[in-house]
Amino acid sequence: MDTWIVVGILAGLVIVATVIGLVARSRAGRVQEVRGFRVVRAVDLDTDEPFGSAATFVQFSTEMCSRCPATKALLVRTAKERKGVQHIEVDITHRPDIAASFNVLQTPTTLVLDNIGAIAARIGGAPRPEAVRTALEIALRRDHGNYVI
Amino acid sequence: MATTSSKSSPLAAQPGQKGIDPRGPRFGAAITTVLLAVTVVLALIGPSVVAGTTLAQRLADPAFWLLGVITVLFAWGAFGGIQSHPYGKFFRAVIAPRLGKPHELENPKPPTFAQLIGFVISLVGLVLALIGVPYGLFVAAAFAFVAAFLNSVFGYCLGCQIYVLLARAGIVGRGGKTA
Repeated sequence: MDTWIVVGILAGLVIVATVIGLVARSRAGRVQEVRGFRVVRAVDLDTDEPFGSAATFVQFSTEMCSRCPATKALLVRTAKERKGVQHIEVDITHRPDIAASFNVLQTPTTLVLDNIGAIAARIGGAPRPEAVRTALEIALRRDHGNYVI
Repeated sequence: MATTSSKSSPLAAQPGQKGIDPRGPRFGAAITTVLLAVTVVLALIGPSVVAGTTLAQRLADPAFWLLGVITVLFAWGAFGGIQSHPYGKFFRAVIAPRLGKPHELENPKPPTFAQLIGFVISLVGLVLALIGVPYGLFVAAAFAFVAAFLNSVFGYCLGCQIYVLLARAGIVGRGGKTA
């Protein structure tokens, strides 16, 4: 094979890998506001940990997740700064049913629940501290006082 | 391998389990990236991209042997544990003392699983090369190269992401078994 074709293919692979890396980096830890009204109950997560009275971080992790411990530390630290905010970690390694029901495609994935346990925000991937605070603000400012049921 | 852990802290470090320096696996991935780049080049200029070669020609291909060495090194990490891997030992002995302490330690399981993914991909490449499928070795080496590149340059562990999808599909994880 011609030398320049070989060099071109190798360069192409480097470019493809770099693009994947940059896209993954820019998407990781981005906050999505969730506008629906899906209430998460303890039974959905198979947890006996308490939910927060103001907001709750629900972190989905697996055993094979290298960034989950650092994300857990960040979420626990942020939860302690505010009153009524709790952190719950759910290991989905052995629970594909939970992963499927919350459409978890990567770990860590974090849901931020508001005061009544409805999903207010979602963060896929390891977030930066600012992203966690932004997501928490979204959950804290949600007001369910005007719903007519 | 997987143990039933307490509900309150499902992923807390197991007793007696030590975290590893996350820069170790990235250093190893950098060496693997270079070796796989050489494999890709050798594959493209060698007999593995040509149809109708004899077994003797395919066995004499340097790309085949280099990928063989890489496969053995992946197997070492996947089955012996990432800590026992020669790159990891070299990192701890020579590189780590010059870098200072890491900010955080990580669970050795994810990089060990990533080694298993690398092992499977490169093994598939070897088998395809052995039975004479044109470009089989090249495609496997190219996939492994992209994964190793992402790991070393971006710290992005493709194998760890794949694990979530496999766990979700119920292929790994369920019933306390691991891949």
